[in-house]
Amino acid sequence: MPAKRALIMHPKDNVATTIEEVLPGDEVRIPQGGEVLTVHAIEAVPFGFKIALEEIPQGAIILKYGDTIGKASRPIARGALVHVHNLEGTRARGDLEGRVKG
Amino acid sequence: MSFFGYVRPDGSVGTRNYVLVIPQGLIAKAICDFVAGTRMITTVDHGSGRTGNDRERIARVLIGLGRNPNVASVIVHAASPGVQYAELTAERLADEIRAGGKRVEIIDPARDGGVYAAIAKGIQLARLMTVEASKLRRVEVGDEHLCLGVKCGYSDTTSGIAGNPAVGYLFDKVIKAGGTAFFGETTEIIGAEHALAKRAVTPDVAKAILDAVAYREGLAKSTGLDIRTINPIPANIKGGLSSLEEKSLGAIHKAGTAPIQGVLQYAQRPKGKGLYFVDNWMGSFSIFAGYAAAGANLVLFQIGGGGLAGRNLLEGCPTVVAPFLWCTANPKTYAMAKDNMDYYCGTVIESGEDSEQAGERLYRTVIDIASGTLSRSETLYYSDPIDLCLEEPRF
Repeated sequence: MPAKRALIMHPKDNVATTIEEVLPGDEVRIPQGGEVLTVHAIEAVPFGFKIALEEIPQGAIILKYGDTIGKASRPIARGALVHVHNLEGTRARGDLEGRVKG
Repeated sequence: MSFFGYVRPDGSVGTRNYVLVIPQGLIAKAICDFVAGTRMITTVDHGSGRTGNDRERIARVLIGLGRNPNVASVIVHAASPGVQYAELTAERLADEIRAGGKRVEIIDPARDGGVYAAIAKGIQLARLMTVEASKLRRVEVGDEHLCLGVKCGYSDTTSGIAGNPAVGYLFDKVIKAGGTAFFGETTEIIGAEHALAKRAVTPDVAKAILDAVAYREGLAKSTGLDIRTINPIPANIKGGLSSLEEKSLGAIHKAGTAPIQGVLQYAQRPKGKGLYFVDNWMGSFSIFAGYAAAGANLVLFQIGGGGLAGRNLLEGCPTVVAPFLWCTANPKTYAMAKDNMDYYCGTVIESGEDSEQAGERLYRTVIDIASGTLSRSETLYYSDPIDLCLEEPRF
């Protein structure tokens, strides 16, 4: 089976964006600075979704574009799909701070 | 670099040449249904029962649309529910539009013998005004006369990877040529504001960017809600975006790399040229009219669309007077809605098209449409009503 493609937006990132439909077990190749990083998908990662490039512990920052896009709400394995089930945004979270009494 | 446009008395240059009838309502609709070459605004925000600040926002929209370079001349009628507030009188609107050197006519049912007679007078005037407008010829002008506005919507990961960067290339090129460009959507720079603040031309502008975000984020928190139940919207999440921060960091690519000259309020005209951040809401039906009122002579909607299904006919978003372009970088969206798309750059993802080349193709498309080629959405009569970006309660 030919390898699938994904893109990394910044060298610091711990996730890459798939640009093909990725199935469990697929080899995913990510060009990075003249080299090619390889990750095996442990589950399906649809087109345009994110795959973990390394093991990400619960609470750790998830980086894309070299910047924070949220934190891991549970431990994330290398090659796993990273989305709303395991990534939690940290900004504008009224539910965490509670309603401001006016 | 250049395009062919209509030079106005104040030196601005239009990409279109309309007679505008304002404000909204029966008289405007009757005239515009009857006379070719006219444009009107369709909105329920007429100002009655609104605060002074919001009435001024409405006035800015109406005056701004009248002064937009795509407008040759304007008819103002005096029969809108808000017309008796000082901010919204027909005389005030007409005077401020005339300051740009354009012909403005007022029709008033109280003076002109009732609504039937006012409509008849308006139709007669509009017919003559459209003929007068049509005598103007396009001439070749420099890109410093382009004034662009962009919104990204139905965003997915193709937006941040390819779609928004193509718009960013376009913006950089037009601004380098001395032109003007607007981007905005304050909620959707939350998480990316630090990167934008670094590009501000002065510390005051940087502070204005950070303040706009702090205010909007404070409002969001005061709801007591998790922003993720509102924004990213369901179509964003279906398209692969997982948080507001991720959406924001992709969204700012549409603003290119130029210095940010200032922060504008909704429908506020900039004092100079260059790139401006507009402190506004992301709503598709309000944002473009606001850009047009600020002077945009062409606007772009860069969509992801990965989270949409079956939408093979896309309604244009209302701009009243500015040609509107649909752009996408998502191969599925393009396959689904090809008829609607003025520009496609999924090629960057599919076949490795150089992103600079993709940006250059977008620039060529913009020049063509600015020079008179119809955008796809201009082939449709339908436009949704506009919900103006008002900020305060109604009473």
